[in-house]
Amino acid sequence: MFHFQFTTVWNVSIDKPESFQHYHLFPKSLGDVLTTYKVKELHLSQTQGLWKHEKWGYPPEDAPPGDELWVWFQPHSGVDQTWADLVNALSGLFCASLNFMDSKSTVQPRWSFRPAGLASEFYSANSRFVRYSTLPREVVCTENLTPWKKLLPCGSKIGLASLLNSVKIYDGFYHSLGVHVRSVCQDTQCLTPATELKQTLTVVYDPTTNKNGKQDWSFQSMFDRTLQSQCPLADTRKIYVDVTTQETLPKFSLSPVPDFVLNQKRSGEERKIAVYQIGNHLSPSSLNLKAMYEEKLTFSNSSLPPVYANRFVTGYGLERGGVTCMIYNTMSSNTTVIFMETVPWFLRVYFSSLRIENDGKEIKPYKINFIPAKDRANPYQMELVFRLFANSVTKITYSFERAFLKWTEYPPDANHGFYVSSAVVSTVLPVASQYTATSQSVSLLEESFSDSSSSFFLRLHTETLLVSLPTPDFSMPYNVICLACTVVAIAFGSLHNLTTRDFTASDPSKRKGLVAKLKSFFKKEKESPENKPDSKEEEIPSQKDKDNSKSEEKDSKKKDGNSET
Amino acid sequence: MVLPTAISFVCGVILRLALFRSSLPDWLSTKTEVVTPLTSWGRAMEGLALHREGISPYSGDIFHESPLMLKILGFISRFSPNTINLIFVLLDIIQGMILLRIANTFGRHMLLRQATSVKNYHPDAKKNLLRKEDLMDLQFYVTVAFSFNPYSIATCLARSTAVFNNIIILLALYQMLKGNSFLSAVFVALAAYISMYPIILCVPVAVHYFLMSRKGGMHYTDPTAVVSYLQILGVTFMSLAIMLLFSMLFVGSWEFIPSTYGFILGVPDLTPNLGLFWYFFTEMFEHFRTFFICVFQINVVIYTIPLAIRLREHPTFLFYMLLYTIGIFKSYPGYGDVGLMFALLPLWKHVYQYMRNTFVTVCMFLVCTVFAPIQYYLWIYAGSANANFYFAISLAFSTAQILMATDLLFGFLKREFYLHNGDKHKLPDGTDAQIILDS
Repeated sequence: MFHFQFTTVWNVSIDKPESFQHYHLFPKSLGDVLTTYKVKELHLSQTQGLWKHEKWGYPPEDAPPGDELWVWFQPHSGVDQTWADLVNALSGLFCASLNFMDSKSTVQPRWSFRPAGLASEFYSANSRFVRYSTLPREVVCTENLTPWKKLLPCGSKIGLASLLNSVKIYDGFYHSLGVHVRSVCQDTQCLTPATELKQTLTVVYDPTTNKNGKQDWSFQSMFDRTLQSQCPLADTRKIYVDVTTQETLPKFSLSPVPDFVLNQKRSGEERKIAVYQIGNHLSPSSLNLKAMYEEKLTFSNSSLPPVYANRFVTGYGLERGGVTCMIYNTMSSNTTVIFMETVPWFLRVYFSSLRIENDGKEIKPYKINFIPAKDRANPYQMELVFRLFANSVTKITYSFERAFLKWTEYPPDANHGFYVSSAVVSTVLPVASQYTATSQSVSLLEESFSDSSSSFFLRLHTETLLVSLPTPDFSMPYNVICLACTVVAIAFGSLHNLTTRDFTASDPSKRKGLVAKLKSFFKKEKESPENKPDSKEEEIPSQKDKDNSKSEEKDSKKKDGNSET
Repeated sequence: MVLPTAISFVCGVILRLALFRSSLPDWLSTKTEVVTPLTSWGRAMEGLALHREGISPYSGDIFHESPLMLKILGFISRFSPNTINLIFVLLDIIQGMILLRIANTFGRHMLLRQATSVKNYHPDAKKNLLRKEDLMDLQFYVTVAFSFNPYSIATCLARSTAVFNNIIILLALYQMLKGNSFLSAVFVALAAYISMYPIILCVPVAVHYFLMSRKGGMHYTDPTAVVSYLQILGVTFMSLAIMLLFSMLFVGSWEFIPSTYGFILGVPDLTPNLGLFWYFFTEMFEHFRTFFICVFQINVVIYTIPLAIRLREHPTFLFYMLLYTIGIFKSYPGYGDVGLMFALLPLWKHVYQYMRNTFVTVCMFLVCTVFAPIQYYLWIYAGSANANFYFAISLAFSTAQILMATDLLFGFLKREFYLHNGDKHKLPDGTDAQIILDS
């Protein structure tokens, strides 16, 4: 795994937009967006691939597959409109379709996404100013790496960013771009806040694509480039390599030799970090960091992280289904977690079916926050706070019903299915086993090596889910309209006939069908020049006959009536 | 006729109790022909679970019952599942008892009306007149039609809340036949409060009230007649307003209106059912959606006016015809409405001989009832059919209902024609004349 972190700390406060005037190292494009949309904190991650917590431990920045954006705004009214404008601006800035993060997929997490930077108690107590949204279907590619690189002070031509070869990076298993803006303290006294911009890129490769089956890697083989320069604008330019297992299996050696080796001690975990000052290694030739392994790669059981989770869809058919999330606690102590789920509105979650179980026994959560969805307006938002017992598996299940969408609401490949965003599990770990994130109070990686705190905030994202919905026949709009209107017309016609017409007795022979009427019309036309006077005479008596017959009928009726009375 | 009636009634109850023990109720409560988003018991339970948790059931889009129903269902749901099944059988027993009373009162009412209008009839029509003996077994036929009607049984087993709607409508009809028109108007308002479309049933109640209180040769458009119509309409709308006000006080705000009446009118949920709305609005272009919603909703109620004018002398038949139009064209129809239609059909058994399409209609009903769950299963679970199969069945079922309704109206009007004009119509040359509809 390679993790690049570029941190810029600017000694102005993001709460004061008028100080965001004279840009030096901080990117102007991003700064303009932050001040125009009254942003206090911004966290954007763009990820392709799934981080396997059971095998790889914890990443420095945990991100779900797809795009995730959560923002804390300055207090002002009309936050929903500001959020809509912000995602549009960011989608232009990062070349990602963030503009799809509209109200249908945006939630206000109540407990899960507290500010990562400086914020007052009063401000962060409620969730009026935070918005969280993800796009699990989003694909991350070179188009997203380029604008991300453009935000760096040194650009992509010199410094560590020059290693970022998009062809090789997008070959990996997992790559995650991150942009994190927050307020930090300028100094230890913390009288004035500063704005910190942290850009991260995490890449996971499988190095055993080498021919000899060994895990050897080097800059040249991983990035197809070597480090030839260093960024003159940066204060710190270092490379850290985790050499904890250098002496044990698997044995490997680094070349060139590191400048020094640090011992990182975090409660419960000891790590050895080799440090390279880039400036020392650039002359005489470029820096091509190499690790050579003595033996071929053998897989062994890695130790499980303290808390990890799995989530999957259950059920069959396109009518209903269920979601199950298993959260594993491998520690020997209980811990409390906050479990947050955002489910799209078209999977109608039944709150009455929500169950949390541990070993078959039902657990009652400490707190539940369930906001049901409004069709085509908001998603389902669920936050649960409950206890994970030591050395156990906790299972959260709920069932849903699949809704029927209008034919225009399906994506182009309708049978592919719809994505449900990852669940977020937040907890505080007492031990830092397999924990690589920087602690929240510091900015640089090195500062968190000597972290003496005893609680470590952890945020996990589970897998995304793919759910199929029943589809209508997309080729049928005209046919459906015609057929449905035909059925309505059958009713309308019959009822109209029956209500506007009366029953009468008539002579079937006198009634002429359409064909007979046409025939007689043409006959009349043909005969009229020859037999006009005769036909006229003939007609009049026939009419008289008709009148006579009618009056006869009436007379007969009257007679009958008279005879009765 | 009392013993066979009692036997069939008891058999119906036993049948329902026995079927509740099988797995049929669970299967039926998932069938979209029987339960709709408005009447589903599962959704009602979900709404109650949210209500108990402190979340308003109207903040989501699952629960669409009115607040009064929320209270009643909340009361029912506190019992154990077996007791809930018994409560639904009890509701069916109540429905059966009201139908018995209706059959009884209807017989008497029809004889009374016939006695007043027999002087206008043709002398040949004597043999078409209703006799007391014919009307004695109305109770038996109505009980059989209700107890063994698969649509009513399905509605009961699936625990659909349409049973409440049916009971209120039957109470309205019963009070109308007994002569308590104002009480009938209150029940019509209650039915409209629950499902909105029965508001048009205030028209037959108003016409009936006028007919009952008509003195001499008063015409339908006389000022006193209009005053009596307005009285009934006033009672209906006043009761409806009071119920809405109480609901607002119970829920605390007006937010239940978009969830209940807005939902019925706007049709946002496109769950398949045996109606015409769902697939039509699935495939409708967004641009025209509002227009066609308005057209379809007007289509439900527009038949009131011509039918009321044509059937102004027969408000009970008008009431029944309007039940048909509501049940066929409403936005979320289900077997509850069909069951109600079939349960009241024996009241007009004197019209059967004049109907023309009974065989076709019965065949269509049988075929659609059997095919609907099959096609749904093939579409949703097996994946080997698509939505068009189920849509075809829904179209055929709607057509069968329409044929039955129009055939019944045709037969009724033809019988009226024969009563007024005799059934022997001969042409001057001695052959039979044809009786046709002509303007």
